[in-house]
Amino acid sequence: MIAGATTPFDYGPTGFESIEEQAVMCLKEIQQDVPDFSLRDVDLMVYSHFSVHFGHQLCPEWIVHDHLGLVGVPQFRVENGGNTGGSALYAAWLAVKSGHHHIVPIMGWETMDSVSQSQGSEFIALASDIRYELMVGGIYPIFYAALALKWMKENNVTEEDCARIAVKNRNNAMENAKTQWYRNEHKYLTIDDVMNSRMIAYPIKKYDCCLMTRGMAAVIICDEEHAKNIAPDNYVVIDGIGLSSCTIRAGDRINIPGWTERYGEGYPDITEFAACRNAAEYAYKHAHIDNPRKQIHVAEIHDAFSTSEAQIYKALGFATRDNVAQFIRDGCAEIGGELPVNPGGGLLGYGHPVGATGLMSLTECFYQLTGMIGKKHLSKRGQIPNAEVGLINSHAGTGTSISNFILRRP
Amino acid sequence: MPAAAKKVKSGSVKKTKVVPVKKTKAVPQKKTQPASTTKAEAKMPIKKPNFSKVVDCRPAGVAETGLVFTGYEVSDDGILINHKLHYDQLYTLRNGSNSKHFLGFLDGKIFGTRCPKCGDKFFPPRITCWDLTCKMEQTEWVELKPVGYVHTFTIAGWSGRSSLKRLPFVLAYGIIDGCKTAVANFLLGLDPWDAEFGMPIKVVFKPKAERLGAMVDWHFEPGDGWTPGPMTPEKERMKKMTLPVYEWVKTMKE
Ligand SMILES: [Zn+2]
Repeated sequence: MIAGATTPFDYGPTGFESIEEQAVMCLKEIQQDVPDFSLRDVDLMVYSHFSVHFGHQLCPEWIVHDHLGLVGVPQFRVENGGNTGGSALYAAWLAVKSGHHHIVPIMGWETMDSVSQSQGSEFIALASDIRYELMVGGIYPIFYAALALKWMKENNVTEEDCARIAVKNRNNAMENAKTQWYRNEHKYLTIDDVMNSRMIAYPIKKYDCCLMTRGMAAVIICDEEHAKNIAPDNYVVIDGIGLSSCTIRAGDRINIPGWTERYGEGYPDITEFAACRNAAEYAYKHAHIDNPRKQIHVAEIHDAFSTSEAQIYKALGFATRDNVAQFIRDGCAEIGGELPVNPGGGLLGYGHPVGATGLMSLTECFYQLTGMIGKKHLSKRGQIPNAEVGLINSHAGTGTSISNFILRRP
Repeated sequence: MPAAAKKVKSGSVKKTKVVPVKKTKAVPQKKTQPASTTKAEAKMPIKKPNFSKVVDCRPAGVAETGLVFTGYEVSDDGILINHKLHYDQLYTLRNGSNSKHFLGFLDGKIFGTRCPKCGDKFFPPRITCWDLTCKMEQTEWVELKPVGYVHTFTIAGWSGRSSLKRLPFVLAYGIIDGCKTAVANFLLGLDPWDAEFGMPIKVVFKPKAERLGAMVDWHFEPGDGWTPGPMTPEKERMKKMTLPVYEWVKTMKE
């Protein structure tokens, strides 16, 4: 990977809403960072976009692609719910590793402010089984709350612990003018603010939830030979990849043979993100990581809800049932902590324009490993010193599709 | 535009009514067949299901408009223009082999499926077994006892647009009659903060005339004999967060 950039993530009018304009913003920034990169060298484009409902445009990637002048260049779009960005990266990685393609940008976006917030929630919930879950009033915060409530009890994680995660990510986002939190609410949060915010679905409150967002992100994936030529001092290696899957309805995973065979009876129940654990196992094996908590220096993960960030710590092996609460309370995941998580603000702070989200995480992780945080954020505060190994996580459904990647500074 | 959509004016929800549709004669095939078609080919070789019983319970104001550009807005500095697009469309969700389960709802019955090889029982049903060693074994329909227990739950204080007025509600994942799966539905008949893990529940159907052959035909209620436990600090907190939702819903516009 030689570059990454996002537009500002926002909601409502900004003046740069059109998708072709956003694409150009990302690519121009990339061109500035990597002057030797040229669209002329691209031999495959992968587009990462979740819901055509928001733009009411089928194949919107065709608009972007031809606007950029890329006629004749092969392209396709990847769609995999909240894991769209991670899945697009998976596809681009396979394309490059196959040797068939060499320079493969990925561009991802969502324009979620084209409809009302509650309509937007319902659009996203169309990715749940509409015959069952959507029909009974379910939207994702409600499903996640039901999952989290049981998980929190079983792992002794409190509402305050989760509030601490929400505070961490939102306040981290205050260092970056591109983040939605900085651009809109723009304030430093406290645990009390989160605890007193209104209930969305117990135990999840307003400030435990990520935001609806419009935004785009672009990254450039290429083989190492090209990376050495185009960006000799500024690339990272995608050293491990993992993609896994789980049931669409969370209620169907409490006893499913596929998991029982792998992990024994009673897992993942309705509480654990088995696909995350599984995808991490693939990625760790691939990248020769046997102690993730020690060997990973920074992680950008899918904190659609503060509660799910806590659940993901466990699925990624950063903590166990015995110490996950302590992991949070000790500030291990904070900047300056043992394993900073979402120093870029995550979904809670940066925003969650679904198709762009995984690429935003990837971009932030790339900046960390290449020491670019000071250049990209308002300060160097978020730069994790000497970060050499990073993890990014992309997550869909109620944990229905999840990917994890290990990035390494060469 | 269908007549039903045109007529509706008031804000009230129309009562469910069964509209028997007269059996129409099969569309004469001859007209659409090319001249060269033989007689044998002209007879439809595949018998397709016909749907005479149609239930239209369309709420007021639901109309299929298709795509309509409804206007635009211009920023005060005259630099930006946004278009307004409205889209509404009726979908037919065809349930195929899952139909027995939805038809069961109309009769107030819960049908799940069971794998004859390994015995795993499913609700929601799977038409074949999920265990790869059973090699997509065809499952058999079984009527389930309408009782079970709460696996997990939440109190919803916010929902999708179409469910806002139902707030606040308990959404519970219930395990019915020893199934290997849990199913999400409303848990009614209690104060939301009294919901508990593992509490017994029963399936309660709406009156027959209001059923739609869909998940909304039934909900969970506490099982017979269940009584709420004493208030705890956590329940107090849930209550404190839930009460404002009732007030907020009252202020909601039609
Ligand atoms: Zn079986």
